[in-house]
Amino acid sequence: MNTSSPPIVSVERLTHHYDTGLTALSGIELDIAPGSFVSLVGPSGCGKSTLLRVIADLIGPSEGRVTRTVDSRRGELGFVFQDPTLMPWATVRDNVALPLSLRGSATEAANDALVRVGLGEFGGSYPRELSGGMRMRASLARAIATNPKLLLMDEPFAALDEFTRFKLNDDLLALWQANRWTVVFVTHSIREAVFLSQRVIVMTPRPGRIVADIDVGLPFPRPPELRLSHAFADECARVSAALSGSQAGAAA
Amino acid sequence: MKSVLPIGFGVALLAVWEAAIRAFDVPVYIMPGPLAIAGALGANFGDLMAGLWITLEVTAAALALAATSGAAFAVLLVQSRRLESTLFPYAVILQVTPIVTIAPFVIIWVEDIMAVLLILAWMAAVFPVLSNTLLGLKAADPNLRDLFRLYGATRAQTTLRLLVPSALPYFLGGLRISGGLALIGTVVAEMVAGTSGTRSGLASRLVEASYRLELPLAFACFVLLSAAGVAIYVGLDALSRRILRKWQDGSVA
Repeated sequence: MNTSSPPIVSVERLTHHYDTGLTALSGIELDIAPGSFVSLVGPSGCGKSTLLRVIADLIGPSEGRVTRTVDSRRGELGFVFQDPTLMPWATVRDNVALPLSLRGSATEAANDALVRVGLGEFGGSYPRELSGGMRMRASLARAIATNPKLLLMDEPFAALDEFTRFKLNDDLLALWQANRWTVVFVTHSIREAVFLSQRVIVMTPRPGRIVADIDVGLPFPRPPELRLSHAFADECARVSAALSGSQAGAAA
Repeated sequence: MKSVLPIGFGVALLAVWEAAIRAFDVPVYIMPGPLAIAGALGANFGDLMAGLWITLEVTAAALALAATSGAAFAVLLVQSRRLESTLFPYAVILQVTPIVTIAPFVIIWVEDIMAVLLILAWMAAVFPVLSNTLLGLKAADPNLRDLFRLYGATRAQTTLRLLVPSALPYFLGGLRISGGLALIGTVVAEMVAGTSGTRSGLASRLVEASYRLELPLAFACFVLLSAAGVAIYVGLDALSRRILRKWQDGSVA
């Protein structure tokens, strides 16, 4: 891992218990380098979404420490949920402008964000008039409208069909290469994680912990055809092996 | 086309009613037929409309008061769980207490009869707006709440820009119910408080007419009140559809 600059997020000895007493996360150690694209993969229940919420400071850790160099109140942190999470009563433009208008900032940047995600024409539409993929684009536009340093994405494309997901993956990657936000991307798709990331963190459940930290050996830019290459398949196999190996270990 | 069957059924029912009254020679002070009722309605039309207007004035004022106070109270209660658990039970008590039982006290305490009617109709109408709005305020998308928190929204911003719009469909749903209840409350209050003279509403005219055994007139009052209830519901339904049209696909919560 690149350690030349201090991490944008640093998680130390993090353990998190749910209110039910169940341990969601145990002994998490994780540094995220600025400008990097990191994915958290694992089966459902492995605590990857919980970890993302702890990183966002939406929930406080039970034990351990999370340090971040970004302030979400100043728009330095963008969060994309699994659902588009748009306000149905507001136009797409007003939705995207939300982080700006809450701080009393000028909202012109919202139009720019809409153009960047390919929704330049749809600012005046209401969310219900958009397709699922377009709603997710609007959600992404809202997260990047403040030009954040850190973008946290919680299985954002999981509910979309494969074609739409691939297209959004390609566009997200292009945006990331142009802007170099730090991205932490939660997914249960190994292929999606490998295609997007420089680094894949593999997690397993009960309790959620990190079992592998894999640097993806694929150069950027990553064209769509990369998904058909042997190199891509090999990288997926590495992540898959780490995941199944740890699960076999956990079962024993 | 959809309305042909129910209207046809209604007409048939009225015809059977009229035929039965004539066939069995039922006296009009026991049970009037539809034609006698229509006749009374026609003969007293101006007078009845004046009464209806008064009843509707009270109903509209009570509904407006219930809508604003119910919604404002809900916004207040949602600010703190402790506040809600302290005060909401009293709203429930207000709701479950039959207003007929409170009416005598209100009549003693409040001199102006219109104010009495207003208070009683408000008591009947406020709860659906209050409880529905409260439900709606709490039904705001948890992820959107998180987002507002993430971006450092103030309490006022979260309330006005997230909670209140989220509650709007629920509020409108409550309003439709409250509309009918405001009319019922006004009618019951008029019957108990017994307004008289020139400023008397349709319900007190109904009671007076039935005392004098002028049943066609009493029935005419009843028909107008029913029609008013239907009109209020249809009107509020159309209003809520209109308001929600742009951001919701159809029906209200």
